[in-house]
Amino acid sequence: MAASNAYGPLTDQQVDQLTSQGCRADDWSDVTVADGFDPGRIHDVRFEGGVKIGSLAGTVTSASGLDRPCGIEEATLINCTLGDGVRIANVGSHIANYTIGAGACIEDVGVIQADPGSTFGNGTEVEVLNEGGGREVALFNGLSSQFAHLWCMHRYRPEFIEKLEAFAKAEVDRVKSDTGAIGTGAKVSAVARIIDVNIGENATVWGASALVNGTILSSGDAPTLIGDGVQAHDFIIGEGTKVTQGAIVAKTFVGQGCQVGKQFSAEGSLFFANCEAFHGEACSIFAGPYTVTHHKSTLLIAGLFSFYNAGSGTNQSNHMYKLGPVHEGKLERGCKTGSFSYMMWPCRVGPFSVVLGKHTRSFDLSDFPFSHIEAAHDGRCMVVPGLNLSTVGTVRDGAKWPTRDRRKGKVLRDRLSFDVFSPLTVGRMIAGSDRLEVLKDNTEKSVDTVTISGAQVKRVLLRGGIKYYRSGIHSYLLEKVVSRIERAVEQGGAGLSQALAASADSVYSERWVDIGGQMMPAKRLEDLYAAVGSGKIAGLGAFESALDAIHEAYGEDEWAWVRHAYKKVFGDNLDEVKTANAALISDQLLAVQGKFLSLILIDAGKEFDEVTQTGFAQDGSDTDRAADFQAVRGDFDTNKFVKQMKQAIEDLNTRIEKLKQALTVCA
Amino acid sequence: MSDTAERVKKVAAETLKIDLSMVKDDSRFVEDLGAESILSVVLVAAFEEEFDIEMDEQGALGVKDVSTAVTFIEKHL
Repeated sequence: MAASNAYGPLTDQQVDQLTSQGCRADDWSDVTVADGFDPGRIHDVRFEGGVKIGSLAGTVTSASGLDRPCGIEEATLINCTLGDGVRIANVGSHIANYTIGAGACIEDVGVIQADPGSTFGNGTEVEVLNEGGGREVALFNGLSSQFAHLWCMHRYRPEFIEKLEAFAKAEVDRVKSDTGAIGTGAKVSAVARIIDVNIGENATVWGASALVNGTILSSGDAPTLIGDGVQAHDFIIGEGTKVTQGAIVAKTFVGQGCQVGKQFSAEGSLFFANCEAFHGEACSIFAGPYTVTHHKSTLLIAGLFSFYNAGSGTNQSNHMYKLGPVHEGKLERGCKTGSFSYMMWPCRVGPFSVVLGKHTRSFDLSDFPFSHIEAAHDGRCMVVPGLNLSTVGTVRDGAKWPTRDRRKGKVLRDRLSFDVFSPLTVGRMIAGSDRLEVLKDNTEKSVDTVTISGAQVKRVLLRGGIKYYRSGIHSYLLEKVVSRIERAVEQGGAGLSQALAASADSVYSERWVDIGGQMMPAKRLEDLYAAVGSGKIAGLGAFESALDAIHEAYGEDEWAWVRHAYKKVFGDNLDEVKTANAALISDQLLAVQGKFLSLILIDAGKEFDEVTQTGFAQDGSDTDRAADFQAVRGDFDTNKFVKQMKQAIEDLNTRIEKLKQALTVCA
Repeated sequence: MSDTAERVKKVAAETLKIDLSMVKDDSRFVEDLGAESILSVVLVAAFEEEFDIEMDEQGALGVKDVSTAVTFIEKHL
C-alpha cells in the first residue's frame, strides 16, 4: 500500500519550494518523502503529525474516468502515509490517520478520518431474525453465509456458538487499528464524510453522503462501487458489490456480488452472495444467497430467505406477541411471494414454493416443497402440495442462478449448492408424500379439507400431491442412477457395480440441511460441531476449510443418499443392478422424465391460451386479439423456452436410445 | 342429459360453490364459473375422484367447458 521506496526527510530546498506553494507544516521534519518525490506537485497543503508521501509521478484515473495529474492540492493531511502516484485534491476539512495506497485518487471530500481503536464495522452486532435480539451475529470481513447461518440459527448448541463467537472476535481484533486504509487504485470522490472506514483496492466511492464505521472490501478483479447518496453506518460491503442510488445501510453486511440501490433501506440485516435489493426495506433479515427484492412497498422483516424472489408489496409481521417481538419466518430456498402477499410470522415455507395472498395464521409446510400456497378470504392458508414441481418458473430459476453468479474475486466466501432437486428437496418430497398418504388413507370422503401443520388442503388434492411428488422423486433418483450407468458404459460397462457403489469417503444421512445456501448431510454438520468442540478446528480459517471440504464432497454424499433413497422408493438394491435391468431403469427414466418435461411444456402453453390474451388488441376487434398477442409475445412454437423443452425431450429420447444400444453391446 | 353430464355439473357446482342451475352445458369453467388458479386444480381432482379416473394433464388442459369435460371423461370411463 505504501510507496515502493523508503521515505526520507525533505531537503531544505524542497521545504522552501513547498512553503512558496502555499504549504504549511507543524514540523517539516515530520514530513518524509519517497525517492523521486516531486515537490512541484504539491500546492496549498497543511501537514500535521507524521506524513509520508510517495513519488507522485504521472497521472491517475479519477472516479469520473478522467486522467488527472498525481499530486496533492488544497488539503490538510494528518498522520497519513501516501503511496506512489496518488492524487488528493480539494479536501474540505482533513484526511486524518489513513494509509492511502499507490494510485489512489481522492477528490472533493469533506473529511476522511480514522479514530483510535477503530474496527471498521467489524464487531458490529446485528440483531438478525429477532429485532429484540437473541440471535445476534457480529460482522467481520470474512463472514460467510454458512458461518452466519450457524451462528444465528443454531443457538441450541451454546458451546458451539461460544466457539464461533471466539473465532469472530479474533477476526475483529485482527483488524482493530488506529489507522484506516484506502487501497491501491481506489477512487474516492464527492463524499462528505468518511469516518472509520476501510476502503479496499480499486473500490470506487463516488457521491456517497456519509460512510461511518465500515469496510468496503474490494479487489482488482472484483471492484466495489459505492454510489450517489449512499448513507452507510456500521457495515461491511463485499467485493464486487454495488451499493448505489441513495441506499441506506445500517448495521448490515452486504456480501459479494450484491446490488443494493434505488433508495433501498436495510437495517440489522445480512445479505449474502448475489442478492439484489431495490426500492424496498429490510429489517433484521437473513438474506441468503440470491435473495431478490426489486419493488417499492416490500418489507422483508425478521425472516430467513435464500434463492428468493419477493413480489411487490410483500410484507410480514407478528403483532400477536406479548413480551416483545418474536418473528422467525423461514422461506426455504427457491420460494417466491406474490404481489402484496403477507405472512404473519412465525411461518415456515418449504423449498421452491409460491406464496400468494394475506396469511393471518401461522403454518409449517417445510415437508411440502414445490407447493402453491394461497390465502383463503379468512386468512387461512390453503396449499396445493407439489403443484410447482413442473412449472416453467421452477425450471427457469434452476437454470438461471448458476449463470448469474456475479462474484469475480479469488476468494468466494459463500458456498452455493444450486441444485433444485437434491437430497434436501427430494427428501422433503418423500416425507411430504408419506404424510399425504396417511391423510388420504385416514380421511372420509365427506371431509372437504384437512389440516397440515396449520395449513388447509382440499382432501381431493391429496392424491394429486402424492402423484406430483412421486413424479419428482422418481425423476430425480432415476436421473442420478442413469447418469452413473452412462459413465460406466462409456468405460466399457465392466465397472457398472463400481460406478453404482458409494465412495468410502462419502457420508450418509437420511436428513439433509441447507446451511446458508450450502446443502449437506446432517451427519457432516454433526462432525463439524464435534471438530469445533474438540478444538480440532480452532479458528476461522480451519472452520471455513472444513466447510469447503464438505462442499467438495457434495457429489459423493449425494450419491450415498440416492442409493438409500432408491432402495426405499423402488425396493431395489443398486449393488445388484446388472446390464439387463440397467436398460429397464433407462426406460423408466424416459417415461418419467419425458412426462415431466411434457408437463413443463403444458405449463408454458398456458402463456399462450385465450385467457392470457385478455387485454390485448386495445382499440381493436376480437379478431385483432390473437394478432396483437402474437406480435407482442410471439407464439408457442417459436418461443425460446418452448423450443428448449422440446429439444430436451428429443435429447432425452436420443440419450436413452444410445444408452440402451451401448448396454446391448456390453451385455 | 347423460348421467356423466349431470355428475360433471354437480361436481362443478359443489367444488366452485355455485348454484347447480348456473352450470350449463356450454358453461366455460374459467370465464363463466370462475374456476381460476387453485380452483381449476381442485376441479380436476374432484372429477378424478368422482369418476375414479386419472386425467392426464395434457388432456385436462383441453377441457375448457362442461361439454368437453363430459366428452373427455366418458372416453376414460
